[in-house]
Amino acid sequence: MTYTYIGKDRRRIEDPRLLVGRGGYIADLRLPGMLHAAILRSPVPHAWIRSIDATEALKLPGVVAVFTGEDCKEKINPCMSFGPATITQYPMAVDKVRYVGEAVAAVVAESRYLAEDGVDLLEVDYEELPPVTDPMAAMEPDCVLLHEEHGSNIGYERTFEFGDVNAAFAGADLIVEDTLRWGRSAGMPMETTGAVAQPGFNGVLEIYCNSLNFSYFVFLIAATLRIPSNKLTLKPVPAGGSFGSKLAAHKVPALAGFLALQVGRPVSYIEDRIDHLMNSDHHGCDRTYEARMGFRADGTIVGLDIDVVDDYGAYMQFGVGHHGNAFSQVVGPYRFRDVKYRLRAVVTNKCQQGAYRGFGSEVHNWVLERLVDQGATRLGLAPEEIRRRNFIQPDQFPYKIPGGNLYDSGDYPAVLDKALSMIDLDSWRAEKKRLREEEGRHIGIGLATTQERSVFSATEFWFLVEKPAFPLTSSPESATVTIDPTGQFQLLLHCQSMWGNSPETVGATVLAEEFGIPPESVNVRYADSAHALPGTGPGGSRYTAMVAGAIRGASRKLQKKLLHIAAHRLELAPEDLELVDARVQVRGAPETGLTIAELAGTAYFFALSLPEGMTSGLEESYTYDHPYTTPPAPDGSDLGVFYPIMGHACHIAVLEVDPDTGMPSFLDYVAVHDAGTIVNPRSLGGHVTGGATQGIGTTLYEELAYDEDGQFQSLTFRDYLIPTASEAPVFRIGHVQTPSPFTEYGIKGGGEGGRMVAPAAVSAAIDDALREYGMRVRRLPVKPATIVATVQAGRAAEG
Amino acid sequence: MKPPPFTYCDPESVDEAVGLKSEYGADSLVLAGGQSLLPLLNMRLVRPEALIDINKIGDLQKIEGRSDILEVGAGVRQYELEDHALVGELVPLLPEAAGYIGHIETRHRGTVCGSLAHADPAAELPCTAVTLDATVVARSPSGTRTIEAQHFFQGRMATALEPEEVLVAVRYPVTPQAAGHGFVEVARRVGDLALAGAAAVVNLDENGHFTSVSVGVSGISDTPVRARAVENALIGEAPTEENITRAADEIVPSVTAGDDIHATRAYRRHLATVVVRRAITAAVASAHERSDGK
Amino acid sequence: MTTSTAAKYGTARRAVTVRVNGRHVTREVSTRTTLADFLRDELDLVSVHVGCEHGECGCCTVLFDGLSVRSCLMLAVQADGHAVETVESLSANPAELHPIQEAFAEEQGLQCGFCTPAMLLRTKEIIDAGREMTDAEVRHEISGILCRCTGYQNIVNAVQSAGAKLRGPTAGGRD
Repeated sequence: MTYTYIGKDRRRIEDPRLLVGRGGYIADLRLPGMLHAAILRSPVPHAWIRSIDATEALKLPGVVAVFTGEDCKEKINPCMSFGPATITQYPMAVDKVRYVGEAVAAVVAESRYLAEDGVDLLEVDYEELPPVTDPMAAMEPDCVLLHEEHGSNIGYERTFEFGDVNAAFAGADLIVEDTLRWGRSAGMPMETTGAVAQPGFNGVLEIYCNSLNFSYFVFLIAATLRIPSNKLTLKPVPAGGSFGSKLAAHKVPALAGFLALQVGRPVSYIEDRIDHLMNSDHHGCDRTYEARMGFRADGTIVGLDIDVVDDYGAYMQFGVGHHGNAFSQVVGPYRFRDVKYRLRAVVTNKCQQGAYRGFGSEVHNWVLERLVDQGATRLGLAPEEIRRRNFIQPDQFPYKIPGGNLYDSGDYPAVLDKALSMIDLDSWRAEKKRLREEEGRHIGIGLATTQERSVFSATEFWFLVEKPAFPLTSSPESATVTIDPTGQFQLLLHCQSMWGNSPETVGATVLAEEFGIPPESVNVRYADSAHALPGTGPGGSRYTAMVAGAIRGASRKLQKKLLHIAAHRLELAPEDLELVDARVQVRGAPETGLTIAELAGTAYFFALSLPEGMTSGLEESYTYDHPYTTPPAPDGSDLGVFYPIMGHACHIAVLEVDPDTGMPSFLDYVAVHDAGTIVNPRSLGGHVTGGATQGIGTTLYEELAYDEDGQFQSLTFRDYLIPTASEAPVFRIGHVQTPSPFTEYGIKGGGEGGRMVAPAAVSAAIDDALREYGMRVRRLPVKPATIVATVQAGRAAEG
Repeated sequence: MKPPPFTYCDPESVDEAVGLKSEYGADSLVLAGGQSLLPLLNMRLVRPEALIDINKIGDLQKIEGRSDILEVGAGVRQYELEDHALVGELVPLLPEAAGYIGHIETRHRGTVCGSLAHADPAAELPCTAVTLDATVVARSPSGTRTIEAQHFFQGRMATALEPEEVLVAVRYPVTPQAAGHGFVEVARRVGDLALAGAAAVVNLDENGHFTSVSVGVSGISDTPVRARAVENALIGEAPTEENITRAADEIVPSVTAGDDIHATRAYRRHLATVVVRRAITAAVASAHERSDGK
Repeated sequence: MTTSTAAKYGTARRAVTVRVNGRHVTREVSTRTTLADFLRDELDLVSVHVGCEHGECGCCTVLFDGLSVRSCLMLAVQADGHAVETVESLSANPAELHPIQEAFAEEQGLQCGFCTPAMLLRTKEIIDAGREMTDAEVRHEISGILCRCTGYQNIVNAVQSAGAKLRGPTAGGRD
């Protein structure tokens, strides 16, 4: 299928305003009489709050009020949560602090400077409890509890088995095993999370915030604030990056809303960087795996056995949705059928987990690829060869995987071939050998082939739970298309979806495709929650595919109306007409027709010229439900289809490691993705390079570290190391397009892109560079000290 | 993250600055480039009663070269070490090391003397100061005193400056024409403070043997370390890989930094030998270039 | 505080006059106000994005007397008598972009836009320095500004493309 506008590199509609510094971010908003809040963060990881004395703070000129968790407990309800009902959280700590950085009190003042002055004057009496920092120790029966009401530090425990792993392993020629440790990192956008709340017209509380998808669950925030949902309007504003960290970031808007309700004035609460680092809603996964994979001698994978302990931190707002997410692609691109997955989710005195690009499936990808690489090494197979032997084949789609999810389409050999065509692996391997022998240099080549599930639907938040409280199945997206009386197009998106992706460009491109109008002529707007039709928003690489479906649905309704108006005016049957290049014309006699502008004039101003029964105007809305979701089996034997729009990618990283310093540097990096039909290749490429750079950060640099006493070690950007331009490799990007049979235009999602793959490819490259010393990356981030220690141990063993 | 209140003083003369410093003593901090101080202020990790901003003092903005001394005033920015021809001519180690300090945006504002006063043991300029036998010039109401770099750095972010003193300049001995220099730093990212770094200045005799060796190391202790044992092991020796490697191992006992999230002590012990070896090797190559260039 | 010191420095607010994007402005500010907050809150130059307030992310970069600096690491009072340029000095009109802004639009050297004003100003400084650079040199030169979206590749392309346009049709420079 070829398109006129879809599939071409295109300048973004979003960019001109961003290029002049008018992005409309939350911190740019000023409301008359606006106050500012700053929070006191807990300096201790685990303690009863005995008292908070605000006397001195309240005396300070400019300080308006001080609120604590006690006020929250009295006046509002706990925050939204998909986790156990016995693990509750408020925007500020109630009775007890459970991690360093947790909000203890908020000072509202005339400026942020004065609010921080007030915070300085607060006095808190803590009765410290032993910190729980090691998730293994947390599970011991005599360990001190974080949540007394829950009765255990284990938030969730269950073993899933699909097929029969023991039987599969009994027939294996090789079983590899490893302990793999994925460290905590986070989306860490350059803009923090923030909200401005104001008591508004008719007693409606308005909350502006840069967490974007609240038209979906505005009622949950309203429930927290104990106000009717029609008395709360969330007005999402564009975000300066998210990568998960602004996905349903609920504490910040809830806190701002609570404070505004208390003081009766607009209140701005914008996290500073330290707030965001230690107290955001969204630290990433923090997992330890005992993992095994069985192989036959020819490299065929026979089964996977995983025992994972996930250190969720102090709260479990998304339940264990991260593992539901991993189940969407639990076998990767490979054909094996037997999977065992034991999950224990543990609460500890750390900041809670949330979303980070991949939402837990990127971790699973890394574990799978680590095991496959180990199998390849032990069996003497090249990494590309062992993968090729195990790929699900193009003629096997749609393909039902163990666990229940379905892969819609794919051509994994084509993606691998494309990647291999972009890089001469034979020469690199020869060069690696030569450089080692002649110059003592250590070059490594890593290859990974992973899935990239896309188009999130909601069931993964609860289907792992035996008796879910709220088993929702909807995750729709809506669009409203308006042609104004002069024929100009307005597109209304029903969630504020701009956080660095390209919702306006995507929307305008699809609309252009539908009507034959120039994409840049479309004006795109966003609805707030009071005006919005159902919209789940971006997240889980869903927005492009979902909004395209919604726009196409609305377009078809409008096209029909245009044809009927034209047919009426031309005294022809609608079937005799077609819409071509913004004009309705007679099939076979294109010289006869009416432009959209002419028809729009009729639609708005000449009701007597409309077909009988038709009303004035040219506006249509459409709500597009997720194209393919099925419920899980009641007995848990099948989780249902929930993430069937399946992308795929192959990354090949070539790097050099200095064995004396442990420092890696990239020599080449090829990334090929199949995200189905591509709307704008350059934008997708940006997600691949940006995501891969984040994946490299997770692999080599970034760490939200706690010491064994529960003190937070990554307080600033001097310690949380985001890759700069000098650490990021030069990427060479390739695309393969296997359309989805289930979505409009065959679009798949690609938003999480490179981060799904890069950790596996880079880990493999480091192993390859230092294989002679027994290097095997088993813990992320892999730090120079680990690399050097391995080299030294390897050299010592050689004698 | 906003600075706490303070009394902001912006004197226009050294005398006035010194007067203010003696008036406020330990309750005041000198603001020069602010690239280390403003983060501390914004995080409220320091709460001075008074901030004495020396940026308006024209007398401190000078770079002056004499026959044997390069003097850099307390207002001179770090990027000027890279851009000022005199610096490269008289003390060529300085522009090379300066390129490793933070990023260009912080070098545009950060000062040379400010970095010395901040005394981060992983920073570049304290390390070069001890390597070059620099002298810090401090003024107080009772007069001017000079402090040798190796005595100036007393601990992590701690110096020999008295509360009423203002650091007004640093003096670097001019490097002999024939000397070679090298600077090596290993940091996790470009612009980060060193996990370990080394500066070296060497002189070779007509046989190519070391007549003098000066090595400073950053990131391995509470202060920048002058690697005397390494230096002593090389005097009179030929600059062979084997000799340099053996001498570099002498740095190990000086590594006292413990584990942190970026590196382990064991790693730093190893890395110190690597950067020392590489800095000396680079300095030897530079010396050879200089003699070839004659 | 002595009486004379109090008389001279005791005030918590001061009038400052700054040449901002070519125009002189005078405002009274608290002496502890950072330059970033001054530009944003007093002058409504919200293009100055505050990302970390401790000098590590670079999003608040402005040109101070022509040199790139972190505006979160300066006080507004320090700008008295000096010149500051923000991205509005290139163009504040989305319909009439400066060639550097054009290059970023064409190469899609931005995604969320938060680091973008800083990157644009740094690009101007790099190009004004006049020297052609390799891609690796450009990467080093922009390494003081963090971008979390792009992986930098399109930014490097934009810097090079803008440089080529503004310097005229001279040879190479890419690696």
